[in-house]
Amino acid sequence: MVADAHWRDIPSYERMAIPGLARHAGAACVLIALLAAWWLASAGGLVSAFLLPLPETVLATGWELISDGTLGAHVAVSIGRILAGYGLAVALALPLAFLFGVSPAARRAFEPVLEFLRQVPPLAMMPLLILWLGIGEAQKIGIIVLACFFPIFLGALGGIAQCDPKLVEVGRVCGLPQRDLLRRIVLPAALPSIVIGLRIALGQGWRALVGAELVASAAGLGYMIVDAEQLARTDIVIVGIFVIGTLGLLADFGVRRLIARTAPWLRQRTEITHA
Amino acid sequence: MLELRGLGKRYTVREREVVALAEVDLALPPGSFTVVVGRSGCGKSTLLRLLAGLTAPTTGEISHSRGRPTVGCVFQEPRLMPWLTVTGNVGFGLVGKVAKVEIAARVEAALALVGLADFRHAYPDQLSGGMASRVGLARALVLEPELLLLDEPFAALDAFTRRGLQGELTDIWLARRPTVVFVTHDVEEAVLLADEVVHMDGGRIIGRRPVPLPRPRDATDRELVALRRAILDDLSGSAGRRPQPAQDFLHRDPFLHRDPFLQQETTP
Ligand SMILES: Nc1ncnc2c1ncn2[C@@H]1O[C@H](COP(=O)(O)OP(=O)(O)OP(=O)(O)O)[C@@H](O)[C@H]1O
Ligand SMILES: [Mg+2]
Repeated sequence: MVADAHWRDIPSYERMAIPGLARHAGAACVLIALLAAWWLASAGGLVSAFLLPLPETVLATGWELISDGTLGAHVAVSIGRILAGYGLAVALALPLAFLFGVSPAARRAFEPVLEFLRQVPPLAMMPLLILWLGIGEAQKIGIIVLACFFPIFLGALGGIAQCDPKLVEVGRVCGLPQRDLLRRIVLPAALPSIVIGLRIALGQGWRALVGAELVASAAGLGYMIVDAEQLARTDIVIVGIFVIGTLGLLADFGVRRLIARTAPWLRQRTEITHA
Repeated sequence: MLELRGLGKRYTVREREVVALAEVDLALPPGSFTVVVGRSGCGKSTLLRLLAGLTAPTTGEISHSRGRPTVGCVFQEPRLMPWLTVTGNVGFGLVGKVAKVEIAARVEAALALVGLADFRHAYPDQLSGGMASRVGLARALVLEPELLLLDEPFAALDAFTRRGLQGELTDIWLARRPTVVFVTHDVEEAVLLADEVVHMDGGRIIGRRPVPLPRPRDATDRELVALRRAILDDLSGSAGRRPQPAQDFLHRDPFLHRDPFLQQETTP
């Protein structure tokens, strides 16, 4: 009892302060254990090889898909869509957030509509988007825009709203005009929230895209998976899932590196466990 | 001349009116050094905010005989931009106003003055409380303003650093002659620095004491000690006085016993 209570008294960050190597060792162990379990389940005949192919089969299929260029083509299509949709969402959400940040009247006018739209999951808008935009690129990009818009918009809006008015006063004493107050104080102060929004949006957009490609598409990673499912190629499905997960991780890692490089002070402020 | 006439500021907090400042009349000759003392919540920061033009008075006015002066302000809290290094913070008010090389030179000089040259590349969250407050001081000094407003700038510093910066501030003031308004809870600091000590209570100025002593001043100087004693008496005299009804709740402040004036009163 006493020992237990004492242990609970230790602040959690101290308990979590495991040396870096040991932490990575833990993660490596989990990965190896999962792989081993997979291999055992498949090789031991616990699950039929049709439902769960051997790890080496999946690896071979992956290599095959890479060498014949199929995987590259699908990845390129998906990345192209995410870049277009994400870029469009950023271009829409950031200026709108700034407009609302400086103009409470605009904010009050648009807020109910946006609040309503925010409640609708992007994939639920898909039937409508298909009717309006067909099943071409426009519809896929539309889905991504819908999925990315709110994280970016709300992140920026929240960041602007949370900017410490005491810091703005510092600028006012220096005689900065409104424009410079925004550029030199409000924007940097909002940056951590903006960056978090951008990170979350990237994850959401990626997920929504794969979802859209599953439903109506002729190319892209989502399409590759459903197509393989119809051909009963579980190995391709698993390769696809790995690629989707890995690309998501890489994108997030890239964004984090970019933050660490360009704004070291942002680092602790924008760390989130999962988007 | 900077003149405050009938200057008042009210705030409404939950439908209750709080009189932060009530009819302050004060003339600040150019190049004067005024120190404001008074109990916590008596309106000192409010007075500085009005002088800085950060908030509009509810009554009265501030008039400048020579146009609006340039203002440098040291806030009660450091208020540093967390995304800028020490150098960036100190040079904040100069960006876009003077050439980059000049900013760099002036920032370096200001950092040397406050003893933070070694921390020029540090970010605010890597500084101690006292260091951060010195960065705030450097940020105001580097502007070389005509009106310098300081709200307890040395409160977070150790006695030694504080004494050093009091000397530096006096030197700067003697050299450039800005009009200074300096808020402090430290009566010794007040008499060391001031031309005139202004005593506030309940949003009003209730006493003024000129300090006609030559500089540099010595804290153990007899006249200075006598003045300090007199000001402490003023303050303890006002301690029992009822302030504005709207400020009543101050007397129920559970932290009131921490007021440095009360502590100083009890020491003989
Ligand atoms: N923005 C505000 N809104 C409402 N009331 C305020 C505001 N600013 C100050 N006040 C009130 O005005 C009064 C004077 O505050 P002020 O900050 O000027 O005191 P002060 O003399 O600087 O005190 P301290 O020595 O503790 O810094 C206080 O009663 C405070 O509650
Ligand atoms: Mg104050």
